[in-house]
Amino acid sequence: MNSRRTWALIRFGLTTLFLFVVWILFSADAGFFSLLFGFFISLLSASLTYHIFLPEHEANLRFFIPRPFSLIRFFILMVAALYASSFQVVKAVITGNTNPRIVHFRTRLRSDLARTILANAITFTPGTMTLDLNDDHLTVHWLLCSTTHAKAAGEAIKTRLEHALGRTWL
Amino acid sequence: MMIVREILALLAFVIGTAFGLVGMVGLFRFKDPYSRLHAGSLCGTTAVFSYLIALLLLSPSVASTLRMIILIVFFLISAPTGSSIVARFIWESEDAERQRSSMNREDKSL
Repeated sequence: MNSRRTWALIRFGLTTLFLFVVWILFSADAGFFSLLFGFFISLLSASLTYHIFLPEHEANLRFFIPRPFSLIRFFILMVAALYASSFQVVKAVITGNTNPRIVHFRTRLRSDLARTILANAITFTPGTMTLDLNDDHLTVHWLLCSTTHAKAAGEAIKTRLEHALGRTWL
Repeated sequence: MMIVREILALLAFVIGTAFGLVGMVGLFRFKDPYSRLHAGSLCGTTAVFSYLIALLLLSPSVASTLRMIILIVFFLISAPTGSSIVARFIWESEDAERQRSSMNREDKSL
């Protein structure tokens, strides 16, 4: 019981901190009353939403606190993938050569946050789009498909992203 | 310095417009809904992202730069989520249709 309460307090504190930082960035005002007002609003909304923002079953801080350097690395990888992917789609639009298929595979990432971000990142990588995410099972539509074998398809699509994400979260 | 930033921003605007245009062409050229979604959402995302980068290059003060970075991050989270929701809706409605047709076939075989 006591450890559960401590865990709830940690989650509450993290939510408040996050909301407060976002408030400071958006208001861009370091005056005393602005900070005070933002702090109390963050407290209020954190007390209402911390159990949705950070669910209780995510029992490890590493599940949602990223390592900053790998986060920046992942972001750069993402932007590069976004442009490469758009370029491939542009090529497909111009030539009209597509081979759309639907493939299924599993991920070994464990936290909900990392899985959601993997699903979003797959939408950014060349010619792929996530249709469904159930626990660790991903359904992906692949525009320029080369194989339907689950393991090969999974490796072709997600390996690099999964490595980068696995270094950032867990 | 300012002129370099302006030239880079102009380049980003041109790239964004090109991607947006080709995405729109793809929306009409492809036949199945998923490929259309690819063209529309992915090229649209890239176009808006390029515009935001250009605005980031042109932003006059630190405060607006920070806010532009937040905008970019939120956009990168929300855009694929939106297209995923549409794709998932198509996938599930197709799934329901497949189940209904297979049930009909079983009825006929009985």
